[in-house]
Amino acid sequence: METAERYVRTWVASPRDKEIEDTVSGISDGQLKLVHVVKALGEYLTSEEDDLRNKGVEFLALVVGKSPLEKFNLQSIKVLVAFFASKLEDTETIIPALKGILAITRIPALSSENVIDICAAIFAHVKMQALVQVQRHTVFSIFDSLVAMHRDVLKSMGERFLSGYIALVDGEKDPRNLMIAFAIARVLAIEFDISIKFEDLFNITFCYFPITFRAPENDPYGITAEDLKLTLRSCLSASPLFGNLAVPLFLDKINAGSPVTKRDTLQTLSVCLPVYGSRVAGKFARQLWSSLKLEIFQPTDPETEEEALKATQVVIKTIYADEVTDAEVDGLAKDACEECIQILKEPEKSQAKPAIKVLCAFISTTPSVSRYTLSHVVPHLTKLSVDPDELPNRGAVLSLLASLIAASRDSALKVINSEDIFLLPFKDEVLGVLVLGLKGKSSLCPAIEGLSGLVTTPDLLDDDEIGFVVQKVNEVISDQQEDLGASDAALDLLKTISCNTPSHIARMTLPLLFSTLPEHAPVREDIEGREKYRRGLSALSHLCTQPDLFETLVVRLSVRLSFLYAPTTVPEDTEPSAAYAHALLSTLADVLARKVERGDLDVPKYVDRLVPRLFNLAAYGVLLAPKSPGGTGVADPRIISVSARLVNLVVQSLSAQKQETFASTLFAAYLKGEVATLAIGDLSLPADTRFSPFGLAAPEDQASLVPLFSGAVIALRPEARVKIPVDDEGAFLEELLNWSIRYAKNNTQRECAWQVVTAVVNKHALAQDLDAFLDATFSTFWNEEIATSPGPDTRRRAISAWAWISRALLVRGHPKALIFVDRLFELFGDADVGWDAARAIGQVGTADKELTKRNHAIIKILHAQKYASSTLPKIIAGAQDSTDPLRQTVHLVALAALIKAIPKTAYEHELPTLMPLLLRGLSLPDPTLRAGVIDTLLSAAQADVEAGAKTASEGSVITEHASSLASIMLQNSAASEMADTRVRVGALKYLAVLPKIVRYSVLHPQKATVLRELARASDDPKRAVRKEAVEARTSWFRYSG
Amino acid sequence: MDSQIFNPNPTIIATTQPIARRRATQAKLSLWLLDGDDDSKPIDADEVFDLIRSISDPEHRSMTLEQLAVVSAPQVTVTPNHILVEFTPTVPHCGMSTLIGLSIRVRLLRTLPTRFKIDIRVKPGSHQSEHAVNKQLNDKERVAAALENPALVDVLETCLESAGRR
Repeated sequence: METAERYVRTWVASPRDKEIEDTVSGISDGQLKLVHVVKALGEYLTSEEDDLRNKGVEFLALVVGKSPLEKFNLQSIKVLVAFFASKLEDTETIIPALKGILAITRIPALSSENVIDICAAIFAHVKMQALVQVQRHTVFSIFDSLVAMHRDVLKSMGERFLSGYIALVDGEKDPRNLMIAFAIARVLAIEFDISIKFEDLFNITFCYFPITFRAPENDPYGITAEDLKLTLRSCLSASPLFGNLAVPLFLDKINAGSPVTKRDTLQTLSVCLPVYGSRVAGKFARQLWSSLKLEIFQPTDPETEEEALKATQVVIKTIYADEVTDAEVDGLAKDACEECIQILKEPEKSQAKPAIKVLCAFISTTPSVSRYTLSHVVPHLTKLSVDPDELPNRGAVLSLLASLIAASRDSALKVINSEDIFLLPFKDEVLGVLVLGLKGKSSLCPAIEGLSGLVTTPDLLDDDEIGFVVQKVNEVISDQQEDLGASDAALDLLKTISCNTPSHIARMTLPLLFSTLPEHAPVREDIEGREKYRRGLSALSHLCTQPDLFETLVVRLSVRLSFLYAPTTVPEDTEPSAAYAHALLSTLADVLARKVERGDLDVPKYVDRLVPRLFNLAAYGVLLAPKSPGGTGVADPRIISVSARLVNLVVQSLSAQKQETFASTLFAAYLKGEVATLAIGDLSLPADTRFSPFGLAAPEDQASLVPLFSGAVIALRPEARVKIPVDDEGAFLEELLNWSIRYAKNNTQRECAWQVVTAVVNKHALAQDLDAFLDATFSTFWNEEIATSPGPDTRRRAISAWAWISRALLVRGHPKALIFVDRLFELFGDADVGWDAARAIGQVGTADKELTKRNHAIIKILHAQKYASSTLPKIIAGAQDSTDPLRQTVHLVALAALIKAIPKTAYEHELPTLMPLLLRGLSLPDPTLRAGVIDTLLSAAQADVEAGAKTASEGSVITEHASSLASIMLQNSAASEMADTRVRVGALKYLAVLPKIVRYSVLHPQKATVLRELARASDDPKRAVRKEAVEARTSWFRYSG
Repeated sequence: MDSQIFNPNPTIIATTQPIARRRATQAKLSLWLLDGDDDSKPIDADEVFDLIRSISDPEHRSMTLEQLAVVSAPQVTVTPNHILVEFTPTVPHCGMSTLIGLSIRVRLLRTLPTRFKIDIRVKPGSHQSEHAVNKQLNDKERVAAALENPALVDVLETCLESAGRR
């Protein structure tokens, strides 16, 4: 007792949490009783002084709030309720009293009389208007907890509770309180008997609709308009009783509101209407339809239109929810349907589109409506499309029909048996008019669209009918189509069919397409002939991904290739043959690449069926094939390169075991001359020629077969069993390096050799052999080939090779990578090769096509970031150091070469330092470097656009350089000053972006100049540049404060 | 803007591919597939049409002038330093004709090199006050005066917003 008094006295003197906690812990362990506290508080509770009384009640409320719930017995609760209730009358103590009541409501032992007493007291004494938000929040929390825990008691209070509560909460405005109020209202609407009071409940909830609340900036409570909308929506859709009152309100808002309100209302309507039921929906059917129609036929924006269509579906679904499938449809659906059909009598007009959208929406409503719609609209459209008067509009009609077919295919209704495919009865007519449509130029595309709709509808067409479709579409692709879009669409349709029923395609379409491929290449002047086989090949490449079809393709094209390589009569000009062979091989490569992309399982088998043939053809082409004097034959590097791509794709897909076998055959052929086991095919190779592509004494052309070798080797897996089949890997690589910088005939061969070295180093860097190789390269190779070498050309090649090796190490996260790269910096002062070394630094960071996951390279994540963070600071420092202008420029070159290669995150934080350097980089004479810098700036600018840097308070980093950027980009965009198209395009793109990231006030003085200069750029000789100039100019015209 | 609707239900035509998608005939001439076509070509009617085809119709914002067959490639004539664009209002009493013509003019002024003289005309016989519209559209002073009117410029900008779309 005395302790309690002491606590109370101390607390009243200076309120701190400690006394409360001490009191609560006293109560918890039984040392103190609640009675003691009340007694101790005695004088304060009845004090004449307002402040003291307030403090007294507050102390009690806090103690009650924190005390363990089981410490309260029935008696004490009753006393507390009565006490706090009485304190509600007193304006000075109402606030702590509410807190006390809130604490009590959480006690499970609260009896029903207590609940009733609390409600009665609150209804009687609390005036919400007199309270601030926090206190109103307490009131709402009290009811929230009562509704949650004592719902039945409240129900038994009946109307007394409802009217009291409704009167109390009327007029609330704060979103935090409304969130609770809406949740309570939903419970009341669902669980309480609101039949008498529903109008009042309607009034206190629907008055908030639509929500126009906008959360203030930096709102600590985080309540969004969306939260409020959803909570309110769940409240509005709580009771069917609201229906009659709510729908007119919704109609009002749809007709009069802003687009946002319209969308909100339509969404709310879609949620509420099913609850309100078919009677309400039926009653307002006409009004709803006329409002919704307006939104569909004269849409404010596409989203609202979409919502209106959804709402229409809901209306129909609600009205016809209970009807059986076969029932005759009457009422709204019928009328609306007829109205739309009326509009469809002018199929070419703009209103036809929304009309068909409505009908398509109907198809996904109820079975009866869906059946009704299709059975009326489809005959109408089929009749219209054969009507000779409507011939000019056939395309429009078929396009409407196509959307209907697609809608019926995608219908949300479940299809259990063929009875449920409502389109089935009309299938013959529809197929008929669509096939007829294939004949007309304007109706071709829609007809194909309709046919693909039919073909993709499950269980609609039978096998013969699909065959018929294939036959008719074949006619389309065999006609020479002017319109590329149509033949693409036709091919897409055939491709769709080929996925499920390839037999029709194999039987009918492929022979047709193969017949477009002549045995001999058309002569140089025969443009038509060339165009014909190209079209055939592009169709084949489109269609033949399916395994059976691909196999046929490989066989047929291989035969054609053999003819080309070993012709019976040698043409005078062999280049057309070479181009034809290239086209055939490219087709195979394109299809194969797509198959690999999809992960097809039939790819590996082509290591036996295709790869040996490719080697056979290539070897024959190099050794024996005829070649017109001075021209190119089938040993053309372009052909070799596409064959190499094919070999690469197949070898990638092999298992380790298969790769091992293949690798041994490959190496035996290339290193030991055993070509017969590798190059098996139709053409017989001469037995007397020694095959030795890497041989120094070999006939010149053989070296051109190296790409095929590298294509295979770079795809080998890193597993130990797929060892490179040579005695000493290191020695092999050394020889290869030596060959590459001294004996290889051209760049392609050199690069191929480096790809092999790179791939082996990347995958086997930990092997013993390679340690020696890397050490030797690091010291001997550097000293002899790079640091001191006879000629700058050899040095340049050696630097390239060095960069490749460094990249191989870097990608796998090898510790030596950075040591290798560092050596390149030593060359920066070299007048001959300084720039090459700088470019090589960029090359090391640049992603290549060889070291990829597909090729089984060992790739450590974040290697690029690591590279950037170790080299970038050094380069920046060098580029800023003006003591030696030559070295400074070389650093700038390195920066320009590197920056486009590394990920943006790696240099983002450095941008302020980098900007001046990049600007200087834009005046480097090498257009490739300039283009790289512009790309980098563009991607940084793009990020700024996305981040909204223009409006952000800190602005963009480029703001201070904006005006020099604008003028330097203008210089780079003029055809007279910059010959490289890429740079011009990039510069113009950048100019187009500038107004989006820099405030108008900054660039305002330059607007006139920029517009004038851009007018000149829009007269560029290149069309691609003019296009960008147009974009940039438009962007600047719109640029204003 | 005038709230009167002149043509509530206009005819729509299917659109064609812009130049970029159409393979140039030059590619056909080359022997090898790889040879990309060199696109150094002078400005032609198709390119000018590409600039104006996607302008929105002032009456039907969701539709382009091309869809409504107001402009088409054959209606553009390009000779060195001179361009003639003819357009066809959807109905002869269309009160938006001047606005459409003006939007075409502004778009071309903003996108074509300054060396071109641009003439914009209503297709002969397609509009009841053809002469007046033509006169208005090709009078420098009047065009300049129209572009001083902020309300009109606002409408023009909304029509031109879609012009860059393909």
